[in-house]
Amino acid sequence: MTHMPHKLPTRRDEAWKWSDVSRAVSDDTRGSETASPVQVFVPTGVTVVQTALTTAANDVPLSKLATEFAGQSWDINVPAGFTPDEVIQIEGLTQGHAQITLTLGKGARASLVEHYDGQAGSFCNSHLNIKLGEGAVLDRVIVQTDPDDCVRIATTNVTAWAKSELRQHTLAFGGKLTRLETRLAGMGEAVKATINAAYLLDGKRHCDMTSYIDLACPDGHIRQAVKGVTADKSRGVFQGKFHVRRPAQQTDAEMRHDAIMLSDLSEIRSKPELEIYADDVACAHGNTIGALDDSALFYMRQRGIPLAEAKALLTEAFLASVFDTLEDEVMRESLLDKLRGWLARS
Amino acid sequence: MLKINNLHVSVDEGQKPILTGLSLDVPKGEVHAIMGPNGAGKSTLSYVLTGRDGYEVTDGTVTLDGKDLLDMEPEERAAAGVFLSFQYPLEIPGVPTMTFLKTALNAQRRARGEEEMKAPEFLKKARALAAELKMKPEMLKRPLNVGFSGGEKKRMEIFQMMMLEPNLIVMDETDSGLDVDALRIVADGVNKLRSPDRGMLIITHYQRLLDYIVPDSVHVLAKGGIAASGDADFAKKLESEGYDAYAT
Repeated sequence: MTHMPHKLPTRRDEAWKWSDVSRAVSDDTRGSETASPVQVFVPTGVTVVQTALTTAANDVPLSKLATEFAGQSWDINVPAGFTPDEVIQIEGLTQGHAQITLTLGKGARASLVEHYDGQAGSFCNSHLNIKLGEGAVLDRVIVQTDPDDCVRIATTNVTAWAKSELRQHTLAFGGKLTRLETRLAGMGEAVKATINAAYLLDGKRHCDMTSYIDLACPDGHIRQAVKGVTADKSRGVFQGKFHVRRPAQQTDAEMRHDAIMLSDLSEIRSKPELEIYADDVACAHGNTIGALDDSALFYMRQRGIPLAEAKALLTEAFLASVFDTLEDEVMRESLLDKLRGWLARS
Repeated sequence: MLKINNLHVSVDEGQKPILTGLSLDVPKGEVHAIMGPNGAGKSTLSYVLTGRDGYEVTDGTVTLDGKDLLDMEPEERAAAGVFLSFQYPLEIPGVPTMTFLKTALNAQRRARGEEEMKAPEFLKKARALAAELKMKPEMLKRPLNVGFSGGEKKRMEIFQMMMLEPNLIVMDETDSGLDVDALRIVADGVNKLRSPDRGMLIITHYQRLLDYIVPDSVHVLAKGGIAASGDADFAKKLESEGYDAYAT
């Protein structure tokens, strides 16, 4: 057993109170040094190199763990002004710790697709640093399809410089414990971000969508829509925070979390937060948790649609809207296919 | 076709009786109107026939062509040919009208062991009927009933009815929310569906609709059952005299 310099978070840590990693990860897996090899596929013109580790620029405990154990870091670089004609793909985050840095130079535009599909019983902890240069645009898609005994912590730190944009769409199916955390620091004016996600949970799966958007400059524009459904005894967690600092005037930010409980035994915990120090901003948050509409279900059945199909159709309609902002139609259709596959099974 | 015999229905977990021994026959090819005061149980009847939760049948039978309707799930009744035009049609956000209707039509066909209707045939039929009902083609692309006016929703009910071609049509207050022009379009649609193989039950508070869809029989629903019956002229008499004579 490797010596553990950093403790895993427990319920007593406020930011982890609904996702107790220390309970989900056993001692012999958390320090896993047998990390699976990360596979990074980059289009022509984008470089990827392995470097010695740099210390994580924050004190998130699991990022420190990644730094400690990943052994090496991957640096992906999209040169300034460059628009690759294919997507950057990250695969192979199936076990152990990983640290990756993606830098988009000034005015670069790129698409990133990450597929998280861990090994059975594994603990996967990745830390991704994204640096968006001035005017850079990143389209990011995360598909998480881990097995139900896999623990997955994926933390992303985005540093967004002036007029850069992050468009992020996530489709998650949870695991023994899944936490997909996005932290964005708006370091220049007119930063834009779309941070949308859908989670679909069954069995005893747990999925935690946490985000922290920290705006320090004027004219930021943030749209966040997270939707989820929980079946069986699953558990969904949403923690979203917008932190609007005093100079971040004219910030326009909206956060929504809407969830449907398909089972009385499932659970949803939600904590939307706004912390605002600027006085000329438009910030809103909304949060709803409900069930499928019985009247709508009856109406559909009266037209001949069997109950299971009616439920699937309503649920798909509810969730699919978070992907309306995804411009890549092929990608959107592929996400919807996965979503429909889940609905057809459950 | 439709035979209702001594039907007793309660709501609030059996605490509140609404229908107390209603009997009614709607033979094939006939249009029957049910009129009555508010709260008499007209909508309850439509929901019991279609199998909505929350209505407890404590006695009596309902059969459609000899089959026990009360034993079927709502979707099975639909596949057997029962169609309810809702008093307040539901909005289904995120589900385009055409997707909804094609799913419904083909689910019914599958349940009946018939072949599914292919997309081109379905589209052709839908476009032709939409034009007949003077509906804007873009309405078919929008999520079902979302943002539609009351009149548009009712027209959409008739559109669905014409697409699904049911055997037994139950119309619950279809005239409410319709102006005279829309009423005429809707009535024309309904009249086209009149056929020797089809029965209709028109539930209405006002006689107005029956000027356009002339019924074979008119019944008064009051005090939990059919209190009186007559021909089409009987509706006019009810309109002028009111329901007081039957409600007490």
